[in-house]
Amino acid sequence: MRRERAAKALSRRLDAWVESGSRGIAQRVSSRRGFLASLGGVLFGAATAPLLPVARGADASRASGPDESKLHGAAADPKNCDYWRYCAIDGFLCTCCGGTTTACPPGTELSRITWIGTCRNPGDQRDYVVSYNDCCGKSSCGRCDCYRNEGDLPMYVPPKNNDTIWCQGTHSNAYHCTISAVVGVAVQD
Amino acid sequence: MTRAASIAIVCALLVATRALAQLPQSMTTLELGAPGPHWVWIDDEAFYAETDGRAYLVDADSGEMLGMLSTGLQFQNLQFPRAYDHIYSAETYYSRSTRGERTDVISIYDPHTLAPEGEIVIPAKRQNGVPIPSFTGMTDDDRFMMVYNFTPKQSVTVVDVVARTVAAEIATPGCALVYPGGVRRFAMLCGDGALLTIDLADDGSEQSRSRSTPFFDLRSDPVAEQGVRLGSSWLFVSFAGMIHSVDLADAQPRFGTPWSIVTDSERRAGWRISGAVHLTVHEASHGLYILMHRGGPETRKAPGTEVWVFAAAGGPRLRRIRLVEPGNAFEVTPDAAPLLITTKGENTAAVYDAVSGRHLRTIRELGLTHSLIQALPVRTP
Repeated sequence: MRRERAAKALSRRLDAWVESGSRGIAQRVSSRRGFLASLGGVLFGAATAPLLPVARGADASRASGPDESKLHGAAADPKNCDYWRYCAIDGFLCTCCGGTTTACPPGTELSRITWIGTCRNPGDQRDYVVSYNDCCGKSSCGRCDCYRNEGDLPMYVPPKNNDTIWCQGTHSNAYHCTISAVVGVAVQD
Repeated sequence: MTRAASIAIVCALLVATRALAQLPQSMTTLELGAPGPHWVWIDDEAFYAETDGRAYLVDADSGEMLGMLSTGLQFQNLQFPRAYDHIYSAETYYSRSTRGERTDVISIYDPHTLAPEGEIVIPAKRQNGVPIPSFTGMTDDDRFMMVYNFTPKQSVTVVDVVARTVAAEIATPGCALVYPGGVRRFAMLCGDGALLTIDLADDGSEQSRSRSTPFFDLRSDPVAEQGVRLGSSWLFVSFAGMIHSVDLADAQPRFGTPWSIVTDSERRAGWRISGAVHLTVHEASHGLYILMHRGGPETRKAPGTEVWVFAAAGGPRLRRIRLVEPGNAFEVTPDAAPLLITTKGENTAAVYDAVSGRHLRTIRELGLTHSLIQALPVRTP
């Protein structure tokens, strides 16, 4: 199911890619990687907790994030894999597991060490840096498996790799689900 | 009672007595004989219940399951010595399943009984993630097993599997995974596109290291981390379908001239690599098998719809095999009549003739979420 779902999602994105033309997308991807190459070293290994409104609850924290009022459909639904913040996620969506986009489900432990993606908010057409933090200490949530890879790089570039279990620095490495907090506006280098 | 009836009763009693003599039936636990040419291990990371990793031994000729290993939390891959006289598995356990004290071990299994025959406790820091075989590696003499660690500090634990002790831990900042290349040598991929080569002393400690200049451009076309070994070389494929080779036989690694697996028209049509495992190799024929699909720029990990087969030395493409179901990982058996086995990451595996491409059978109801397929090593006589 995980891979079939990924295949369907990727197929949809292929359609969009063909329609919009490959050149523009490729340039955007390339510049994203360039940006991430410089930003990754800054974020990797550093706790992004001060930027994460994890204690405020879902609605309050989302209100403090980017403007999502112009979003429609799946891109606006945090329980849908096509939600705009999930462009580089690999795992179970905490929004389906008792958590929110910025808060881990009860009884799990938030990992402060993370990987990042750069996702375009279709509502305002701006790129945002998204921190994907794993929630740890319980077995797999098993719901809303989501596998997207925009800007993902291999495991030898850890801060930009979504195949790593990021339950690091936690009491337990057991992986439960993943949250997606916006930590900044992306800038091009 | 007639004479005929008397005879019938006597016969019935004799049959019943004979049957009773066979009871109670004896019971036992099976052991495996010599491996068949198409036995493969299908690793199951059990993504939906990741405390319960397992590996299934299957005969791809019959599609029958032969046995299983239980391999703990966030299972990655098995490690086979060339003689296949043991099966090693780097495993993680917590004293309370998902909490409590963490213990990492190399479990040692008997390949005939599939029972654990020992373990080596290793530092509790092995890397966990979407499985590829390079989380561990083994020196060419089967003496040392290397385990890649990520905490996120990067290092390699060197385990002496003969003495069953930890020989060393080697810090490898900026470099990841394990690509063995000799009796006392392994390589790693680094975050700037360089290759780190580490030579071991006979006690398993680091003897020397060298770091190459970057051999690919991380910004324009990075290589995927899953590679295949062919002789003394490793082959990697880039996101855009360029094959990069690294020969570890000499004092310094030698990098081959990259070559493309797609033509310009195929690239324009969106053909690109697929899955968690992109490559496998049939060493005897030097056939390089690559999982492919058509998709957009960010879809290198999407399931594959075809397997393309190339001469590993630089092409040409020999054939295309269309898959009956998408593939996320795959393997080719090493014998002279090889089979191709694919899995889409659920609990089925499809078996093909690797030469003709004909679909032979599909194995169903096997585990939870398959992650890797591992052929048994070619055994040294």
